[in-house]
Amino acid sequence: MRFLMGVLSALILSSAAAAQPVNTGHLTAELVAASQGVAPGQTVTVALHQKIQKGWHTYWRNAGDSGEPTKITWTLPPGWSASDFTWPAPKRLPVGPLTNYGYEDEVLLPVTVTAPAGAAPGSTVTLKAVANFLVCADICVPEDANLSIRLPVTAGPAPADPLWGGKIAKTLADAPKPVGLAGAFEKQGEVVKLAITGPALKGADMAGAYFYPFAGTVIDHAKPQAIERGPDGLTLTLTPGYDFQSPKPPKDLGGVLEVGGKAYELTATPGPPPPGASGLGPPPVKVAAPAGAANLGLASAAAFALVGGLILNLMPCVFPVLAMKAASLAGHGGAQAEARRQGVAFGAGVLVTFLGLAALLIALRAGGSAVGWGFQLQDPPVVAGLALLMLAVALNLSGVFEVGTSLQGVGSDLAARGGLAGSFFTGVLAVVVAAPCTAPFMGPALGWALTQPPVAALVVFLALGVGFALPFVAVAFVPALIERLPRPGPWMDVFKKVLAFPMYGAVAWLVWVLTVQAGSDAVPRILSAAIVLALALWIAGAAQRQHAQGKPHLALAVTAGVLGAVALVGGALWPAYGAPPAQAMGEGFVALDEQAYTPEKLATLQAEGRPVLVNYTAAWCVSCQVNDRVALSTTAVSEALKRNNAVYLKADWTKRDAGIAAELARFGRAGVPLYLVYGAKGGEPVILPSILTQGAVVKALDAAGKAS
Amino acid sequence: MNRLLVALAAASALSAPAVAAPVLGQPAPAFQAVDAAGKTRSLSEFKGKTVVLEWTNNGCPYVQKHYNSGNMQGLQTEATKDGVVWLTVISSAPGMQGYLTGPQAKQWKGEVKAASTDVLLDPKGTVGRAYEAKTTPHMYIVDKTGKLVYMGGIDDRPYSEPESLKGAKNYVTAALADVKAGRAVTQPATKPYGCSVKYGSAG
Repeated sequence: MRFLMGVLSALILSSAAAAQPVNTGHLTAELVAASQGVAPGQTVTVALHQKIQKGWHTYWRNAGDSGEPTKITWTLPPGWSASDFTWPAPKRLPVGPLTNYGYEDEVLLPVTVTAPAGAAPGSTVTLKAVANFLVCADICVPEDANLSIRLPVTAGPAPADPLWGGKIAKTLADAPKPVGLAGAFEKQGEVVKLAITGPALKGADMAGAYFYPFAGTVIDHAKPQAIERGPDGLTLTLTPGYDFQSPKPPKDLGGVLEVGGKAYELTATPGPPPPGASGLGPPPVKVAAPAGAANLGLASAAAFALVGGLILNLMPCVFPVLAMKAASLAGHGGAQAEARRQGVAFGAGVLVTFLGLAALLIALRAGGSAVGWGFQLQDPPVVAGLALLMLAVALNLSGVFEVGTSLQGVGSDLAARGGLAGSFFTGVLAVVVAAPCTAPFMGPALGWALTQPPVAALVVFLALGVGFALPFVAVAFVPALIERLPRPGPWMDVFKKVLAFPMYGAVAWLVWVLTVQAGSDAVPRILSAAIVLALALWIAGAAQRQHAQGKPHLALAVTAGVLGAVALVGGALWPAYGAPPAQAMGEGFVALDEQAYTPEKLATLQAEGRPVLVNYTAAWCVSCQVNDRVALSTTAVSEALKRNNAVYLKADWTKRDAGIAAELARFGRAGVPLYLVYGAKGGEPVILPSILTQGAVVKALDAAGKAS
Repeated sequence: MNRLLVALAAASALSAPAVAAPVLGQPAPAFQAVDAAGKTRSLSEFKGKTVVLEWTNNGCPYVQKHYNSGNMQGLQTEATKDGVVWLTVISSAPGMQGYLTGPQAKQWKGEVKAASTDVLLDPKGTVGRAYEAKTTPHMYIVDKTGKLVYMGGIDDRPYSEPESLKGAKNYVTAALADVKAGRAVTQPATKPYGCSVKYGSAG
């Protein structure tokens, strides 16, 4: 009821400024006023309101490649005058290969009407106008309307119109205005650089910045405008229009800069770009970008993470650990409760480690470090430590020593508990060694997670952990599954010793990673440490056997401990690993003609109009290596590169690199791999899938090489 | 090495014509298109003659302004009398506004009493894209040596109302006069106006 009253009173009030909407076919037009009257000698804002049919549009003051701006012709009583439209910032409206500037849905075009000083208060004025619209969908229809509005002349300032006052005020407030931006433009070869600086641009979000010129022939409206950020502003790369071919090139470049949700008016003058308008590279790509940088919701990110976690179980460095653990469950025979305890302990180990890593990662990023998933493997000491750990696991599988039979020789009661702790640490170990195998599914999910608030990020990591722990815990909890496992027997010992070999392989791989990180000098050092560790563990094994036979073993155990410590310290920690000699990077199996990635090189190549394939990779990233072997370093790709005059850039993230981390973040990724193909015509790159196929790369390169 | 060179050369040869936007004073993009009678025509066959290219779409209000008033036919008559070749190009894709088959184009030409030399059918938009034709009408003039000397609007009144023709400065008339007198075209590039060319979506 109160609502009805409100509507009624609004109707009555608004009738103070009476107008009749006119439907012209594809839009409804009317004149509306910001206030309920106007005082003599004062101004009132009257707006041409267009309610445009869905799918149709009308045009801005520069219509773009085609179309025509809305026009209005006033018939006013003597003494009254009306200004030109204040044009709200337009939208880009692509039509096939063309681009127009205009409005969809609804728009208010305000004008300022000035009353003569001699207008008589108490009288009513009728403002008449003919409005001409070009309304277009894929076809265009010129439509026009005879409009009028009656306004009372009031003695003093009139109150705002309840219906339109606020809307018109907002339109005026949002409309582009000059804010002291300085602009300089210069034709550089085939492009025009427009550099814009000013206090309003400091710290603005420059993604999607766009310049709408007032004149229709200064730029090619349909071409993308590449954005380069600077400390004081930005530089847009525009494609020149007809005016730059005319004998008299343009003397100024006026228009509207749309940036960070705001629009500013400016006039640029010819001249070289000022230094503060560039140097910081392009703005980050929004995660919602069409590029496929997976704009995931929390639910789907968590689902991806869960699947990714499941897949991690099959990774070569993880599988042996888990297979042995599962076999040991079967070893417990019917002891259902024990199996469950083991499962819970393992799951807890996995989740605690994942959450711990996630918390560390989030904290580091919050602190400004340029790290991403897999960051654990970017430090040589960590890689060396992991290599030694893998070796220990492998030697254990080979039967050199036992775990769970304590060196200090405590009773069987503790041993059972040691079993639980063992399960927990198996979980920890599994996560630590799984990290480099960032499964393809995890890339988008983790990338998304790291752009989210910490709680959402933790949920995704938790889902990853759950997925990772799920198979083992399921085996522990579902008796039917345990029964499916083969009965324990002598075969287990053989199985265990076979599984040792993938682990030795993992050691070899980590040593290779280390040499990429720290150069070939690292090889003798890590291998010496490995031999000392093997000796230490062999002695430890001997001590265990002595103990089992009730013989003294303390000296042996101490020797083993000292040697182990020496191996760990000498192999991983001290002295610090040096940087590799420059040429050691990217040595080896490279079949493609590659160049090292730098943002400058990419920009230069793009300016030359060459397609570019960028491979963000790291030595410790297994999926990167697989992709490289099966899809990238192939003759077909090599030929596609040549055919399209394309350049292959490799961004190596094996060692921490803030620039590369920033690039990854632009595409919503927290880690490698990431494959981008930039087209010959510039613009945002195509993101290739994380599981590469040769065909996909070739196809993307061919598409990038095409002119349009 | 040789293979690489060959590949590079092939790549640049392939990409060059597609990238080139029409440039004043440079040779106008070469093309081949079928006319209303089904005959293949090319720009090169008119070497030695001044050629006017006019993009059209008979459903477009801006085109209708010039045809219903007889303005376009007048221009065509005057130009062809001077020995100028006037080619009207339709780049509307099948199903889009302004698309005409050969017989339909012939019929339309008769109905509106167009005095153009020929109507060229460009349903794939190849010619349109080569010239970066944006609107209907959009006008180009190629001189006797095959160089592009004018591109842009037909006149300085970018409106659809027929009254807007009164007092309009016709850029094509002015440019043709310059070409005839052997002068450089005074206003060689102006803003084309009108409806968008109704290209098909596929490249």
